Amino acid sequence: MRSRWAILWALVLVAVGVHQVGFWRSARLDTDVLALLPEDEQAPEVGAATRRLAEGAGRELVLLVGAPDWALAQRAADAAREELEKDSALLEPSVTDASALDAAVEFYRPYRDRLLTPAQRAWLARASSEELGGTALMKLYQPAGPRLTDFDADPLGLWPDWWAARATESAARPRDGRLWVSGEGREWVLLAWQSKVSAFALGADARITAAVERARAAVLAAVPEGRLVAAGVPLYAEAAASQASTEMSTIGLGSLLAVLLLVWLTFRSPRPILLVGVSLALGCAVALSVTALLFERVHLLTLVFGSSLVGVAEDYGFHYFAARQGKPPEERGPVLRSLLPGMALALLTSVVAYLALGLAPFPGLRQMAVFSVAGLVGAFLTVACWFPTLDTGALPVTPFAKRVSASLLRWPRFSSTPRWWLGAAVLAVAIGGGLWRLVPRDDVRQLQSAPANLVADQRELGRLLGLPSPAQFFLVGAGTEEEVLAREVALKERLEPLVAGGVLAGYRAVSDWLPSAAQQLADASLSARAEAQAVAAVAAATGESPTRAAFATDVLTPARFLASPAASAVQRQWLGLLGEQHYSVVMLRGLNDPSVLPRLAEAARGLDGVRWVDKTEEISRLLGRYRRLMGGLIVVGYVAVLLTLVARFRREAWRAWLPSVLGTLITLAVFGWTGEPLQLFSVLGLVLLLGMGVDYGIFLLEHPGEGSAWLAVALAGVSTLLSFGLLGLSATPALRSFGLAMLLGEVTIWFLTPCFRLPSGKDIT
Amino acid sequence: MKRVLLLVGVLLATSASAGDVVAGVRARLEDAPLLRGEFEQKKTVTGFKKPLVSRGDFLLSREKGVLWDTRVPFASTLTLTRTSLKAEQGTGGAAYQLDTGREPALAAMNALLFALLSGDVATLATRFRIEGELVGTEGWKLALTPTDASLARVFRNIRLEGDRFVRQVHLEETRGDSSVIQFSHLASTPPLSDTEAKRLAK
Repeated sequence: MRSRWAILWALVLVAVGVHQVGFWRSARLDTDVLALLPEDEQAPEVGAATRRLAEGAGRELVLLVGAPDWALAQRAADAAREELEKDSALLEPSVTDASALDAAVEFYRPYRDRLLTPAQRAWLARASSEELGGTALMKLYQPAGPRLTDFDADPLGLWPDWWAARATESAARPRDGRLWVSGEGREWVLLAWQSKVSAFALGADARITAAVERARAAVLAAVPEGRLVAAGVPLYAEAAASQASTEMSTIGLGSLLAVLLLVWLTFRSPRPILLVGVSLALGCAVALSVTALLFERVHLLTLVFGSSLVGVAEDYGFHYFAARQGKPPEERGPVLRSLLPGMALALLTSVVAYLALGLAPFPGLRQMAVFSVAGLVGAFLTVACWFPTLDTGALPVTPFAKRVSASLLRWPRFSSTPRWWLGAAVLAVAIGGGLWRLVPRDDVRQLQSAPANLVADQRELGRLLGLPSPAQFFLVGAGTEEEVLAREVALKERLEPLVAGGVLAGYRAVSDWLPSAAQQLADASLSARAEAQAVAAVAAATGESPTRAAFATDVLTPARFLASPAASAVQRQWLGLLGEQHYSVVMLRGLNDPSVLPRLAEAARGLDGVRWVDKTEEISRLLGRYRRLMGGLIVVGYVAVLLTLVARFRREAWRAWLPSVLGTLITLAVFGWTGEPLQLFSVLGLVLLLGMGVDYGIFLLEHPGEGSAWLAVALAGVSTLLSFGLLGLSATPALRSFGLAMLLGEVTIWFLTPCFRLPSGKDIT
Repeated sequence: MKRVLLLVGVLLATSASAGDVVAGVRARLEDAPLLRGEFEQKKTVTGFKKPLVSRGDFLLSREKGVLWDTRVPFASTLTLTRTSLKAEQGTGGAAYQLDTGREPALAAMNALLFALLSGDVATLATRFRIEGELVGTEGWKLALTPTDASLARVFRNIRLEGDRFVRQVHLEETRGDSSVIQFSHLASTPPLSDTEAKRLAK
């Protein structure tokens, strides 16, 4: 019977093994921070917009090379470019050269008559024919001026101004064949590069970061007072990957070594070490395979979090060996059978708690939940199916194990004496005071964990280039493409005063590059009328007979525009049809001050189909909402766990339950006293605590007075502490607060559980 | 600072191009802070059979900018400073203005006009390949080919002729138009009048 289970489990593991080989070959590891962000529950189009805006940026690398003057800046930029060109398999320059601009000019040429800036539109509508004629003549007789067309195709010289207006959408200007930005006391050259490797495939070896660092060194070597500022998703991805892999090995290996050391100290035999190691390894392998099968990609943070699983999944093995120690080998089966009910209950509470993590709509959390549950089940099944078969031979009781087991008898036990009640009162006051001082904080920005130098560079680039913010934008939706463009225009009219008032540097909208059909027709006839007058005036003045060129008779459609080279600047902002509606994004430049955001939100008020999106604010709100929801869940969970425990332990159930409740409260109180804010991730740590904290109580109640149960609990407690303690050292703030909550809670529960043990000689029956 | 930059530019320019001719031309040019005179411009434009001829007065102040006042065929003024271009018609009220503050393309155009009128060879050498010859004891000729893509978009080439002053500028535009500007009655006095100074101060 047992061997049949063992074989079945072996078959499952073979399948897992096969899957693992394939998985590590293709390494579908995800470092994208966005993957962890919650899905928008109400508006999928907002999520689509965010994804779309982030997608294109996934491979982009933007560098500014600056020096005190332009000549030096150019020299420094050349040094950086030469260095980056060396690794052509990794990086390639983005095409932002003049040929792209020429192609755009040619594409627009037949439609020149309907490309007007708002100022030009107003002027053409009000200018007298003398003024129109005079302007045309002056421009015609000017010594030299940049013209993009012959006289007949733009008699009033309107088009260069329209291009100049488009150019203001980016801070960089062409100068001497390079892109030039001036600011912060330096002249800068803008270099745009692209990673040839997808951001998801970037490893912890940080090749792009290294290339950028080499370029930085080259800049300093060429121009000592030079400076290189770089930003881009690849750099973040590499930083995250290397941080995660360091942490993974620290937490995983640290916990593993601790666990194996504990096993060695307790049992002084290689077999337990090997078997516990096997159960952990298999648990992790199953976890990884199940996660990879259920999700498209496994996120690196899942692995970081998952590496703390080592400290939890070893419990089952400990229990088995602690109970088995000193008993003859042939009692292996009965020993395991007597342990199974308690173990299964402990597994169940842990699984429920982990699954509760997945209630929040954060894909990353769901993944961590699935990973942990699969890992626990994997380790549990390994112990249940294989240990009795593989664990042959004797296992004598060691002096260390004896000492630990015996320590339970010396542990203080709660009894109804004045001294205990006084202690309880003091504790209650301390907890009350801490809870009183506890402050929640849900700002998503506090979860920012990128290296400080990257963040600083990103900010500097943002200031110099006035880059549009990917987190705050307007989403414009309507039933037809035409209406989307018209609604953008209505929004832009509201934004103009804010731009004039310096609240923001500017905006970037598809309708600036592609006027709506109605606008095109109106502008074409407006310019036709005005330019006819201008040409007539020029004819009269020169005694010649110039004519006005003919322009396209059709309307420029979104489909044609988007397929053209002219669309590259706003391509990503056109979301197209999502469900019933067409959508576009109007992006904002030069938003450096969060305090102006409400004024922008106000700007969209009352406009049909225009929606202000502030991802930062939205996610912070969501974090807050789920923090409260999970807080409620903890309360409900404790009630449910109490009922479960009562079903098995009747009137003694509180002995397993109370330590966890106290552990949670004390953790919160410590947070309050130390000023650590309460946020979703610490609450999630407490959710998990609820599932794992009661395990100790369960084991002690299941096997009252048995030193071996206490031995297992003591070992499990220490290793769990280590795992989550190490997680508390993580540089990822979310994981850190998670680990911190777990650590504090675990310590308290571990200390308190034996205080509430049954008096000796008493039994739960 | 600007001076230092200019000096660096000069050093680079003289080392970078046909050094001898350039140095010779610079030696022959009078380095006056102010230059005034008359111009005649013949512009050949696609769509017009005859060249468009205009005449007027001009003033160049190396510090402040350029005034280009057309009298014939119609009165109009063009005021060019380092940061703006302003054109006004004497009658009819037509006017337009461009701020070059943030548009290097326009700023470059202004700087180019400055350099052409004043024969600022050092500045020109940073954006053009310069070939030239010295003529007689006083004269010189230069041919400029843009090396910088943004200028190459506008000009195919530029030819300059002169002695103590620039006497003639010939512009070949990439789109096929061309202009020949002749200068006469050149002098470095009188200094700026109040009206002129006021126009350039805006």
